[in-house]
Amino acid sequence: MASEQPGFWARVQRASVERLHIRLESLVVLLALGTAMALLSPYFLSLSNFLNILLATSTIGVLAIAATFVIGSGGLDLSLGSVMGLAGVAGAFVAVNLGWPSVLAVIACILAGAIAGYINGQLVTRAFVPAFIVTLGMLGLARGLALVISQGRAIYGLPPEIVYIGQGRPFGIPMPVIIFVLTAIVAHAVLAYTRFGRHTLALGDSEGAARAAGIRVEHHRRIIYTLSGALAGLAGLLFTARVNAGDPTAGINYELTAITAAIIGGTNLFGGRASILGTMIGALIMGVLQNGLTLLAVQSYYQQMAIGAVLILAVFIDQYQVRKESRV
Amino acid sequence: MTSLTLKINRFTLALGVVLAFSVIGIAKAEDGEYGVLMKTLANPFWGAMAQGVADGAKEAGVKYFQQAAESDQAAEPQLNLCNTMLERKPVAMITAAINSTNLLPCLKSAQEAGIKIVDLDNNLDQAVLDKEGVKVTFHIGSDNIAAGAQGAEYLVSKLGKDAKGPVLVIEGLSGNITGEKRAKGFADKLKELAPGLQIVASLPGDWDRGKAASIATDTLTAHPDLVAIFCANDGMALGAVESVYAAGKGPQVTIIGVDGNVDAVKSIKEGRLNASVAQLPYLVGKQAVENVKKALAGEKVEESIAVPTLVLTKDVIDAGKEPMLQYVK
Repeated sequence: MASEQPGFWARVQRASVERLHIRLESLVVLLALGTAMALLSPYFLSLSNFLNILLATSTIGVLAIAATFVIGSGGLDLSLGSVMGLAGVAGAFVAVNLGWPSVLAVIACILAGAIAGYINGQLVTRAFVPAFIVTLGMLGLARGLALVISQGRAIYGLPPEIVYIGQGRPFGIPMPVIIFVLTAIVAHAVLAYTRFGRHTLALGDSEGAARAAGIRVEHHRRIIYTLSGALAGLAGLLFTARVNAGDPTAGINYELTAITAAIIGGTNLFGGRASILGTMIGALIMGVLQNGLTLLAVQSYYQQMAIGAVLILAVFIDQYQVRKESRV
Repeated sequence: MTSLTLKINRFTLALGVVLAFSVIGIAKAEDGEYGVLMKTLANPFWGAMAQGVADGAKEAGVKYFQQAAESDQAAEPQLNLCNTMLERKPVAMITAAINSTNLLPCLKSAQEAGIKIVDLDNNLDQAVLDKEGVKVTFHIGSDNIAAGAQGAEYLVSKLGKDAKGPVLVIEGLSGNITGEKRAKGFADKLKELAPGLQIVASLPGDWDRGKAASIATDTLTAHPDLVAIFCANDGMALGAVESVYAAGKGPQVTIIGVDGNVDAVKSIKEGRLNASVAQLPYLVGKQAVENVKKALAGEKVEESIAVPTLVLTKDVIDAGKEPMLQYVK
């Protein structure tokens, strides 16, 4: 293979990385999976099923956006799932137990998440505790607090406006899907095309170089963790509205699924390379896999195995590409 | 072109993995298929229920496909599973919802599609269903009030209807409907059969063995002449057994649990726990399928089906003659 004259495939790959900020492989895997499922199950190809997949991906998708920002900046947020649970309980508490207007409940969800994220950011940048430890601690703190606030029981009976956020279908499209897609579009634009996004990835690439270039590293990290928490709060709102209950056990292990989506989508676990569109493809790969296997009546235990296998495979392909490129 | 070939190979590999997983469960469209959605299978209770569904379907000659969430707390994943299962267009959905609200959006869609809905193990709340306009074909499960009442009947049969003395009731998690029903069933029946046996305390043990043990110890201190303890599940009953024997009052206090789990059966055989009102999840699963078939055939099915419970004592287990004993797993 002549390295002077890149082939057609190489040119398409480069274009997709430069223009769309995604690796073409993940898109091909998604399409191949979709085709396979369509061939195997007569129920897969339908509009209602596609909406199902998007709906099932929406909560985890919003968390995966948060994970992408944090990991892209060279950090890690293990508290996503717990903060999501805490935020949902906070919102339900405000709406049901306090009986305040729904708008305040929505704000409470996102604010609770943002505060947890802000604390994470402060501890990471000021107390010099590693992000893994800080967010692992927050995982326990937020979960415990959610259980304390709710006294260990789900808070039922949310007002109709909040339930609409989870179960409404304007123009036939589920509300969580609309919120998820809009969030993803904005997040993609921010990460790929703004100075904030470039700084985020620069930070993940090399903190020293970023500092030398004049980026306010600590300040930037705090913003990213706060943003991550706020997005977890939004995910908590979606969850709570979907199941019509502020559930203190909501989101257990969701952080790992969110990180999996980001990694399958091509985010470098050690930072410096990340794209929201890629993460969305990663999340959809998992969504299609779960949906297809459920339609095929495969036990959910095998589904977990399949996702584990895809994760390892995705990183394997990624590493293979990176090594090949570095050889050129 | 070598790199292109290599890449294609890798995609083939990726596809291969997926196909390998898919092949495990390839199932073609079946007309008249039932969808069965469990909470989880990672626990003997639900395992026994799944076995009952399987045997019931085999005997009735119906096809079904089954899914379960990864844990009994995975509310949202269970809702996602439910939505996806509807795409297979089953004729009936037999669901054991993780809580009384998480599956509601899916059940509404099912109802709109004309799919019959069954509430397996009484997880749905009729008041919530009415408010949301969801009509369930039938609820099926153990009758928890009857289970509590059976516990009282056993106690009175052992001590006699003129017996006198203080009785302790240890409830489940406060606010949990199952525990409340069992405790209420016991209390009401006891009052009716043996008014001399007085419930001196009815406290929530939160399904926790250790907490139940502490409650038993404290109550024994306040009422050294305690004659009986009724616990809303076996785990708590086994905790109470430890406290009672530690206080040296084993022969004096009759202890009754509910569930009929393996540990309880063992303790009954050893002569420590006196009785457990056993639920029969196997029978619940089996009867659910049988009744769906009836309902689909246009026969009348009761709106709420109570599957009997069985009082397990050392005599019943040792004799081994009770026909329902085969359903105790």
